Amino acid sequence: MGKGWCLFFLFWPIAAVVSCAMAPWIGWSFPYDNAQAASNLGIRIDGLFYLILVITAIVFVGTQAAIVYALWRGANNREERADCVHGNHKLELVWSIIPGIILLFLAIYQMNIWADFRIKKYYPEVAVKDPIAEVTARQFEWRFRYPAIGKKLQQKPQPDDLHSVNELHVPFGKPVMIQLRSDDVQHSFFLPALRIKQDALPGLQIPVWFEANKPGTYDLVCAELCGWGHYKMKAHVIVQPEDEYQNYLKTLTEQQFYDGLGKIAATENDSESEATEK
Amino acid sequence: MFSKKTNELIPEAAKPVKEALVKQFGNPFALTQFEGLPTNFGDIEGTVKTVEPSGADQPLIRFQVTGLSDAYDKLQGLPLEWTSGKGQGHFSRIKEYNFETGMIAVEKSEEIDPQPGDTFLVECVRLQFGRDLYNRHCMHCHGMSGEGTGPTSRYLNPPPRDFRLGIYKYTSTKSTSKAQEADLERTVKEGIAGTYMPSFKLLTEDEVSAIVNYVIWLSIRGETEKKLDDELFLDYSQEVYDERTSEEGGETREEVLEELKEFMELDFPDTLEFATESVSEAWEEANEEAALVIPKTPRVPDTLESRERGRILYLSQKTKCASCHGPQGRGNGTATQDFWTNPATNEKYKNRGLHDIWGNQLPPRDLHRGIYRGGRRPIDTYRRLAAGIKGTPMPAFGGSLSDEELWDLVNYVMSLPYDGNR
Ligand SMILES: [Cu+2]
Repeated sequence: MGKGWCLFFLFWPIAAVVSCAMAPWIGWSFPYDNAQAASNLGIRIDGLFYLILVITAIVFVGTQAAIVYALWRGANNREERADCVHGNHKLELVWSIIPGIILLFLAIYQMNIWADFRIKKYYPEVAVKDPIAEVTARQFEWRFRYPAIGKKLQQKPQPDDLHSVNELHVPFGKPVMIQLRSDDVQHSFFLPALRIKQDALPGLQIPVWFEANKPGTYDLVCAELCGWGHYKMKAHVIVQPEDEYQNYLKTLTEQQFYDGLGKIAATENDSESEATEK
Repeated sequence: MFSKKTNELIPEAAKPVKEALVKQFGNPFALTQFEGLPTNFGDIEGTVKTVEPSGADQPLIRFQVTGLSDAYDKLQGLPLEWTSGKGQGHFSRIKEYNFETGMIAVEKSEEIDPQPGDTFLVECVRLQFGRDLYNRHCMHCHGMSGEGTGPTSRYLNPPPRDFRLGIYKYTSTKSTSKAQEADLERTVKEGIAGTYMPSFKLLTEDEVSAIVNYVIWLSIRGETEKKLDDELFLDYSQEVYDERTSEEGGETREEVLEELKEFMELDFPDTLEFATESVSEAWEEANEEAALVIPKTPRVPDTLESRERGRILYLSQKTKCASCHGPQGRGNGTATQDFWTNPATNEKYKNRGLHDIWGNQLPPRDLHRGIYRGGRRPIDTYRRLAAGIKGTPMPAFGGSLSDEELWDLVNYVMSLPYDGNR
């Protein structure tokens, strides 16, 4: 039976390495293109993840190999008797200090990323100077408030602010910042493709910045179990070139100040004509 | 499935009402449509390819079909009308449908005998699609038959709308008209700020219109039921029946039932036809251009003068805005302190303040909060003022105020959230 156990313990490291290597192919990896983040900061966070994955893989494979070796030797040699050892000071030191060094290395190595991600002092200046929108999480939707074209976002709502729901547009190729709020309970602003996640807390306004490196439509979901409709709390973040983004704001402005006459009258009840065609 | 009022009729009166409704509308599990409804049935045509031989003791006939491959994949429960072959003109109900193999099973009957090449229509496909989406996204608040009492509803304030009165608050139509399809679609897509109705913007246009189609169908069903109940309630509710057959009432059970039987035979068919027709027509008319509230003049420029004119109007006896919304627009007018009479029952409400047609206490909006349930565009506010808010005590000022006056009021009201804010 001894050799059976050898095979058993040999199987797991192999299975682990193979499944990790195959994961991106079967879509079990990070969301988005080739499992790569859609933001530069996200790519760095992925890098950290892979670093930790490699370290733990080496340790796991190594310890499994040691177990297999010990079992194999024991199974092949019935003569040699095992010693009973009551602690080994040197060994204790080795397996405390080595993981300690690894953890310390990780802590120091990732500090820049953490600072760029979470410490406002290190946020890109352009983003901080001019937050593009206020994002309000609410059971169970996302509401957005942009400043009027050419103006800055104010703490309090302004008469010419632009409002939308479940569809956040942001310009492409530059860092942007939003002010995150919650209207009711705790929610979490989660952009899986960009590796951005930040809790929204009632009574607080939390700045969050991100920079998408590819234009596209990304899912914005709520990562906090915030109530019965939590799973419905989905929105799209639409990353688009600056001119398209400006056009969007223009359309939004026109819609928002629509007085029932004028040029968008014809498109106002658009959905109705579409519905009857179908 | 049936309203409280229907269930309060004596069984002899409730039965034909229920039967008529099931015949005309089916039930939420097995939908039926009939000619004349303004909702989209979504019929699709199919042809029998092969029929599976079945033993005499088997209750179902199975056959393979062609032509349904583009159709919605869940057809179970839908009516199937034979358009050629022996069964022409007859209906079957689809008991099983396999989208992958194109196999349909229907109940065996004398009238039908499907043969290869026979054609048929599957009805209500669009309605069924809407129903499935409704059940996934709307039902847990608005309830199975749109009665507004889904499992989540008791935690919500304001409570989810009961669709069965066919009244919707935020529309672009005149005060006497129903909602346009586009209005309901906008509500589904944008949600209602300040309430628990969230935005469903991630649904496709097609899905939204299918849901609205089904919601309108639920409304028509509910309204028809209500009209039938109203017709019968004064004479044949359990309470009236008890009174009539009591000693003071002096009628016997047989007399009452004889009268009911006569009504059912002579008048009920017409009542039913009239009920569904009038309801359907109203829904159809709402989608016409003429039903829309369109200002005659563009928005009056939003100047301090215009706002001031609006403020004076707001406080005037002409509009009486302040009596509900309060002199400062805080939603605390004197009307909120009175006990009001329910127009439907003529009894006083238990609580102080205004109530909506669904019987909920309804505080007038605090105009400083900047939350616009019916939309925050100037035209939305204009429409709230011109056509009122349906089902609520908010009146329509379209007749009594000029366009300029309405716009002045819009400018004043829309400036309120921002005063003392610059
Ligand atoms: Cu949430």
